[in-house]
Amino acid sequence: MLRVSNLSVEYADGTRAIEDLSFSIEAGESVALIGANGAGKTTLLLAIVGVLPPIAGEISLHSSAAGPDEQKNAPAQAARGAVKPELVLTQRTGKDTLRELRARVGVVFQNPDDQLFMPGIYEDVAFGPRSFGIEEAETVQRVDAALSSLGIAHLADRSPLKLSGGEKRLAAIATVLAMKPDLLLFDEPTAYLDPRAKRNLAQIVSGLPQGKLIATHDMAFAAETCSRVLLIREGSVMEDGPRDILFNARKLEAAGL
Amino acid sequence: MPDAGARVRELRALESLAAGRTAVHRLHPLAKLVASLVFIVTVASYGRYDFIRAAPYLFYPFIMMALSESPYKLLLSRVLIALPFCLFAGITNAILDTTAAFTLGGVTVSLGIVSLATIMLKMYLCVMAALILVATTPLTELTAQLRRMRAPSVFVMVFEMTYRYVGVLLEEVRSMIIAYRLRSGKKKALEMKHMGSFAGHLLLRGFDRAERVHAAMCCRGYSLKHIPPARRRIKPSDIIVMLIVCVPSVLLRVVPLY
Repeated sequence: MLRVSNLSVEYADGTRAIEDLSFSIEAGESVALIGANGAGKTTLLLAIVGVLPPIAGEISLHSSAAGPDEQKNAPAQAARGAVKPELVLTQRTGKDTLRELRARVGVVFQNPDDQLFMPGIYEDVAFGPRSFGIEEAETVQRVDAALSSLGIAHLADRSPLKLSGGEKRLAAIATVLAMKPDLLLFDEPTAYLDPRAKRNLAQIVSGLPQGKLIATHDMAFAAETCSRVLLIREGSVMEDGPRDILFNARKLEAAGL
Repeated sequence: MPDAGARVRELRALESLAAGRTAVHRLHPLAKLVASLVFIVTVASYGRYDFIRAAPYLFYPFIMMALSESPYKLLLSRVLIALPFCLFAGITNAILDTTAAFTLGGVTVSLGIVSLATIMLKMYLCVMAALILVATTPLTELTAQLRRMRAPSVFVMVFEMTYRYVGVLLEEVRSMIIAYRLRSGKKKALEMKHMGSFAGHLLLRGFDRAERVHAAMCCRGYSLKHIPPARRRIKPSDIIVMLIVCVPSVLLRVVPLY
């Protein structure tokens, strides 16, 4: 579904944040992105949606329905709109592709206050669909569905300033779910949450059918929500394997954790 | 420094007013935008001594505030922010232009005073018209309408970002002041010697935060070049209301009543 190939990303000051990084995520798969502070986790998430442009390599996104069986029927499905076109992000990707990519990949930021910038939760959740030109009737439907699926429909008319940390986190996820993305990227989803809110979030995240890439330091959360782990250090993949890695102290220590 | 948290709440309060459901709120944004622009341009076009001729326009803000159920106190307090600027602009006229204009109850009023009063009146009317527009139209609808009207994208972006980031900046000020006070002993105010460092850090932190908010907006489809489609068509009733504001405003300006 998502394939990152030989990706390199530099900051404006010339610092190399990601170096020749490759991995892929299948449809519906949940992958934990583990690494020390400054390892490049947030940079990688922002690079996947083109906020930070790559200096080398490419990121490609296939339709979520493009498994081996579906690929045979891809032309017919494409004609019905069931298969979305493959999107490739490189150094020279145009704005239209970038826009399409952002409609299909949702990012939940580390600090929900960065993500909730409208006066009310309803307006905030509707911001994405409206920006992408979705019809108002469908936008209303999507917003209601996103809020209800997370059990926060009662917060629709509230201001983000009046919410608790856990409520803000769920509202931030709703803003992304309303765009009906194929892939979800979470940046430290358990930051600022108490243990109960973390448990609730783990249940919700596990229940989401989309593919997920979850950058976190919270090993318990990663073990509960992910089947695969990507261990990175200084912008490069150190280990890519099953979640047993989370319990391997030697490997975690080698990653600077 | 005044309570930054209170300023953030005021800003959000103004935004939340736009979510109202009165007849004024339900008007098409194009109708409100054109009516406000015509009103502001007409008022601004009056000469420096036209106080009496511009006075009838005072009805507009009061009628609109009543119809939109906007809280007078909040909007008037926002107008007061612009007061010192106009006072500075007009005070020199009051001092330098001492030609007698008329006598009121034995007191001679100079043309400079009339000029100062006219500047204040025009400021009040223009700022109120803009505030009423913002208080009755969600920002997203307003900027989307400006883009559909092919307003320069830089102008729309500056408007959008200023409005969005003033809150972000104030939130940063609030947290920095709290952190400063907690470590500054008995001192209540920010010391002069720390001002430079404080302002520098505020700029960098504000910039950093603004970048993150902007990234979050871009991830959800925000684009400067994108022209959003209209969510609803303008109706005849919208046009009638627009004309009810525009025609008398222009007529009053063009046809001298007194």
